[in-house]
Amino acid sequence: MIGLPTRLCLAAAALACPASAADGPSLSPRDIAFFEKKIRPVLVAHCYACHSSKAAQVKKLRGGLWLDNRQGLLKGGETGAAIVPGKPDESLLLKALNYDSLEMPPKEKLPAAVIADFREWIIRGAPDPRRGRAATISKIDIDAGRGHWAYRPLEKLAVPDHPGPAGSSTVDTFLLARLEAARLRQVAEADRHVLVRRLYFDLIGLPPTPAQIETFVNDDSPEAYTRLVDRLLASPHFGERWGRHWLDVVRFAESITLRGFLFPEAWRYRDYVVRTFNDDRSLGRFVQEQVAGDLLPATSLQQRQQNVVATTFLALGNNNLEDQDKAKLRMDVVDEQLETISRAFLAQTIGCARCHDHKFDPIPTRDYYALAGILRNTKTLNHANVSKWIELPLPVAPARTAQIREHNKAVASLKARIKALQGTTNNKGLSPLPVAELAGVVVDDLQAVTTGSWMTSQFTKSYVGTGYRHDKGEQKGEKTARFRPRIPRDGKYEVRFAYTPGGNRSPNVPVTVISADGRKTVTINQKLTPPLDGRFISLGRHRFLRGGPHEVAVTNAGTTGVVIIDAVQFLPVKVSGNKPVATKTPPVKSPGKPAKLRTLQRQLKALQQQAPGQPKYMSVEEEKAIADTRIHIRGNVHNLGAVAPRGFLQVISLDYRPAFSSNQSGRRELGKWIAHRDNPLTARVLANRLWHWLFGAGLVRTTDNFGTTGESPSHPRLLDYLAARLIQQDWSIKSLLRELVLTRTYRLSSRHDQLGSESDPDNRLLWRMNRRRLDAESLLDAMLAVSGRLRTDLGGPQIRSGTTNDYNYRHDSNRRALYWPVLRNSLPELFKVFDFANPSMVTGRRENSSTTPQALFLMNNPWVLQQADHAAERVLGLRHGDRHRVQLIVRATLGRPPTPSELESMLAFVGSENDDRKMRLQKWAQVIQVLFASIDFRYLR
Amino acid sequence: MSQAILTRRDALGAAACGFGQLALTGLLNTSASAEPANPLRPRQPHLPPRAKRIIFLFMRGGPSHVDSFDYKPVLEKRDGETLPFDDARVIAKSGKRGSQQLLKKPLWKFRQYGESGRWVSDLFPETARHSDKLCLLHSMHTEGVAHGPATLFLHCGSTNFVRPSMGAWINYGLGSENENLPGFVSICPSPGNGGARNYGSAFLPPVFQGTAMGTAGGPTADAKIRDLVNARLPRQQQRQQFNLLRSLNNGQLPPGTKDTELEAVINSFELAWRMQSHAPDVLDLSRETAATQALYGINQPQTANFGRQCLMARRLSEAGVRFIQVTYGDGSPNPAWDQHSNLPKHAEHARRVDKPIAGLLEDLQQRGLLEDTIVWWGAEFGRTPYAQDRGTGRDHNPDGFTVWLAGGGLKPAFAYGNTDEFGHVAVEKKMHMHDLHATLLHLLGIDHLRLTYRHSGRDFRLTDVHGEVVHELFS
Repeated sequence: MIGLPTRLCLAAAALACPASAADGPSLSPRDIAFFEKKIRPVLVAHCYACHSSKAAQVKKLRGGLWLDNRQGLLKGGETGAAIVPGKPDESLLLKALNYDSLEMPPKEKLPAAVIADFREWIIRGAPDPRRGRAATISKIDIDAGRGHWAYRPLEKLAVPDHPGPAGSSTVDTFLLARLEAARLRQVAEADRHVLVRRLYFDLIGLPPTPAQIETFVNDDSPEAYTRLVDRLLASPHFGERWGRHWLDVVRFAESITLRGFLFPEAWRYRDYVVRTFNDDRSLGRFVQEQVAGDLLPATSLQQRQQNVVATTFLALGNNNLEDQDKAKLRMDVVDEQLETISRAFLAQTIGCARCHDHKFDPIPTRDYYALAGILRNTKTLNHANVSKWIELPLPVAPARTAQIREHNKAVASLKARIKALQGTTNNKGLSPLPVAELAGVVVDDLQAVTTGSWMTSQFTKSYVGTGYRHDKGEQKGEKTARFRPRIPRDGKYEVRFAYTPGGNRSPNVPVTVISADGRKTVTINQKLTPPLDGRFISLGRHRFLRGGPHEVAVTNAGTTGVVIIDAVQFLPVKVSGNKPVATKTPPVKSPGKPAKLRTLQRQLKALQQQAPGQPKYMSVEEEKAIADTRIHIRGNVHNLGAVAPRGFLQVISLDYRPAFSSNQSGRRELGKWIAHRDNPLTARVLANRLWHWLFGAGLVRTTDNFGTTGESPSHPRLLDYLAARLIQQDWSIKSLLRELVLTRTYRLSSRHDQLGSESDPDNRLLWRMNRRRLDAESLLDAMLAVSGRLRTDLGGPQIRSGTTNDYNYRHDSNRRALYWPVLRNSLPELFKVFDFANPSMVTGRRENSSTTPQALFLMNNPWVLQQADHAAERVLGLRHGDRHRVQLIVRATLGRPPTPSELESMLAFVGSENDDRKMRLQKWAQVIQVLFASIDFRYLR
Repeated sequence: MSQAILTRRDALGAAACGFGQLALTGLLNTSASAEPANPLRPRQPHLPPRAKRIIFLFMRGGPSHVDSFDYKPVLEKRDGETLPFDDARVIAKSGKRGSQQLLKKPLWKFRQYGESGRWVSDLFPETARHSDKLCLLHSMHTEGVAHGPATLFLHCGSTNFVRPSMGAWINYGLGSENENLPGFVSICPSPGNGGARNYGSAFLPPVFQGTAMGTAGGPTADAKIRDLVNARLPRQQQRQQFNLLRSLNNGQLPPGTKDTELEAVINSFELAWRMQSHAPDVLDLSRETAATQALYGINQPQTANFGRQCLMARRLSEAGVRFIQVTYGDGSPNPAWDQHSNLPKHAEHARRVDKPIAGLLEDLQQRGLLEDTIVWWGAEFGRTPYAQDRGTGRDHNPDGFTVWLAGGGLKPAFAYGNTDEFGHVAVEKKMHMHDLHATLLHLLGIDHLRLTYRHSGRDFRLTDVHGEVVHELFS
């Protein structure tokens, strides 16, 4: 079973099929009897459950196929007509019954006699007395679909109908108008302690220090607030905070679940995102770079690097590289990219259309494959048994390139000299060597006695005989091979072992020679080219007797990498009653060479150690063959329909209709189309995301779904205003954010209000500021900040060197949470517990749960206890009394002075200042841990 | 033990002495509907349930069905013959059907057991004694030829896409019977073949994801709920600290109003505090008698590890956990049962699990738990009836294999469906993995068509657009 439809839309278009006068031709009684006796009972018993109007009523109709009326059979379902009367071999129904391409009924094949009946019935012309009409599936009306709010053109910089009160911004005025209509009033502004903490966490994700709090609280200047906003927007930590929001949307991760493979270069993309936000680069440009940066022109090296690293975006999917059906895997990868692109930038759920026209939104299957065609022209994986993502050399400065080129030249020249000295001792360019050309006794791998599964290969051409075998690098300890020669005469033989070398080979293959001298084991490094002829390595000289033990045994026990067996040659050196046999291999070496060779090899090694590294990045490539793709019927990669020329969503009508080139994928055009200033979705979606991240709930709360199943905006004109502002200000995120945090609404208290709570409990109209929970990253950063351990340096790779997979990774860092590796099999415990975004899917809106594991984490987790310890050391290090210490630590954690009762209860808890230091440290650490667990630490008021 | 579990309301009453006056007043004046929603609260099933919970014994890697529960005398008769087969791996890679394969007879002798006379091989002599309890599904088939895809399909119903695992769906559908414990526990899960995705919640809220206890290959003694115990503070001292936290949190509630969200936070600490005192007892195997421990083989080195896992599964099911997965495997990327070569190694794995499984079945029955607990034994696929590469092992076989179920609402001593004469492809009453999922959900009272979650603009379910409930299995 392959390529089954993988999409579910429950609201199947259940369409009744009214009985009609569609009478057929008159049938003979014999035909009727045949149908009633042989055909109808089978259809009823085995087919109607999924292919009848009754099935449609209970939403169980499959494949759009009705078999309970004659028309339905003739018209067929999504895969075409079920029968062609008179032509059994062209009738899909018969193929399905024969389990040929389709398998129906799925439970088990019907008896051969029944299938024969169906064949005969079709040959007779499929006489069918049943009436009724096949229901038709309604076609999507794209024009009508354009009426949906999200697809309508943007209103050009809307202005509020009435001017607002003094001091209110345009944004406020939009909001106030709705509040007024609902007879609601906004609450008072928040106090300054609340504001400073809110601004710090919202804009840079870090808590203000007690000193920073005091500075702001005591600054009487009317410009104090604006000054703070501008300072925070200019901080390099701004990009860390806001870049992380974006990483949620693009399912950023640094490993893949399958086999825990690491993405060693993914961090470059993370840093690129942070820089983009810090430099306030155009979001429109940002969109295009991620979709098609590799195809965009660049005027500087920095821009070129930026462009290509951006495309890591396309490669981050959590794909199942092991899937053996590579055609399906290829389309699954395309589907994942399409899902990410459409949800992240357009808030559209087009995945439904992979198998059938979208049931809710005006997105036909054809649109899906028009877009899929673009991505299908893009190579994301190199397919193999376990497919692999793509890493490419990062463009570097010309000086560096020259350096790398010089180095490569020097290495090549040394290698050439070494090769010359070694004669042909390099397996490159060698062709297979027939056994017959070798002297002595040769045992080829085919004659070896093996246990376990060895795979035959001819990939590396330097083999002996017809090929060689390898252990696939699997089932270590379970595979052995024994080479047993027929020894013609007693005597001494040189034993030579043949293998094909390679980078994935095992460096430690134990090979045991069992001879009259006993057992001797030699460990072979199969990564290295065999020294003799590029094919053989000598296992030494051994005495073999005709009746005695003679065997060369190889095992893969204890090996790493792939173990190769090719052949073993036994060359007589001194054999009784015979002259030594002249060997054809290897060529005799002149005595002066080895020393020189060794010197050169030493030089080569030294040179290679100083190699100027070629940095890499993770990306995609253009496919060699560029084409439009065909519609996959019901999403099945093995069931292709009509060609869908590359294109975009028809429901969005833009004045941008590029002709797709036959030598480029079309991603460049896709990026342009998404970021087009007239695309009504992109600016709305991005403006709404910014609003959501700042206010805690979007104007459209379903941030990733602007389709008809999503929510409508609470303030449609405000949303359009923001979208237009974004475009007007060259897609500057900082400008828009600045405008938002300077509104009066943003500065409101999150206080309760009787009237507001009753008539608008969800605060959709913003009568107050939303109280928000610190997310996982802010929580972690804040604890590290209070403990005094926080490192605030920016960027760089973070996965501990020497890590081979992401299983049970030990997270241990004093960097900001942003830099803790996002490993799909080993998320930091704190991330898991505190609703971190699932790094395998687009997450515009995180969950917000209050669970016991969170409480347990704050009460008992060793890392939390440790941070409290460090903070306690700091607090006790201060030359103050306990009263003052409580004042400070409460400011550092909660951003405000303690209430009198808090102060007293904490003082009572820590006890006497005269206790011994150990006791004091313990008590203080416990108090600080309590602060970490308290509501005012975990929430932004 | 289930009587000892407090209802949520009881619990709040009992804990109320620790609440600030304000919170107490707030809670007592609240009608049930306005309570802070606990996402794991028990939910009404769609249908009358036949069982309350599932223990899934996951035989990671795919034990050979033709060497264990699917007896095919033809294999013995025709051992060594070369015949054409539609091999799943060959087809996936090359589309080629009818590749030549070398038939390989089972390495273990089959015998008949119980009144039902079921055939079971000498791999599982202990389990065989319980064959009259088993409901054998001989006609299983699934998707994915490699471990990664097939293992994800087994757990999440999809070979590639990120989807919620079955336990998460059940947790979401039914909630937890016990507020002191998670509703879905995976004991010693393997990091390989999809790792955390196999007990993840994908787009379901994270609260429904499985709680992993320990990791594959690690000692079962380390299989604990994380952060359940404070390693530093004795209980009494932590209580003082906890009281300080209570007073701070209560003081930080906004005055003059009821705030369900913050009350949920306060409540989470109260629950955590009680869980901390209650849960370790559930996980403490030393409370079991020596006889019970011996029943699971804990007294013998070979069976001790898996025995402990099975016993822990029983204790968790007794305490109300809905879905408990026990994984047999080690920490290596290669799944234990994956004998591509050296098929005799199956014996070693069987020895480690057979006694504990039999012990679990017996123990559950003795305690009356088998009536409403489903034990599910199986893997991501079976193995081919022919030798792989003409060697000493068998390759993966997703086209036909056996799993068995026992207990809650299932026919005992029953066998359903059949593979072909060789045991290669399910042919009679085929049961797809989607069907098994649908059927198991049905037993728990969940209609798989109605257990949906709206994500990315559409409703998803565990069985995608597939799945048929096999009513014939129900007693």
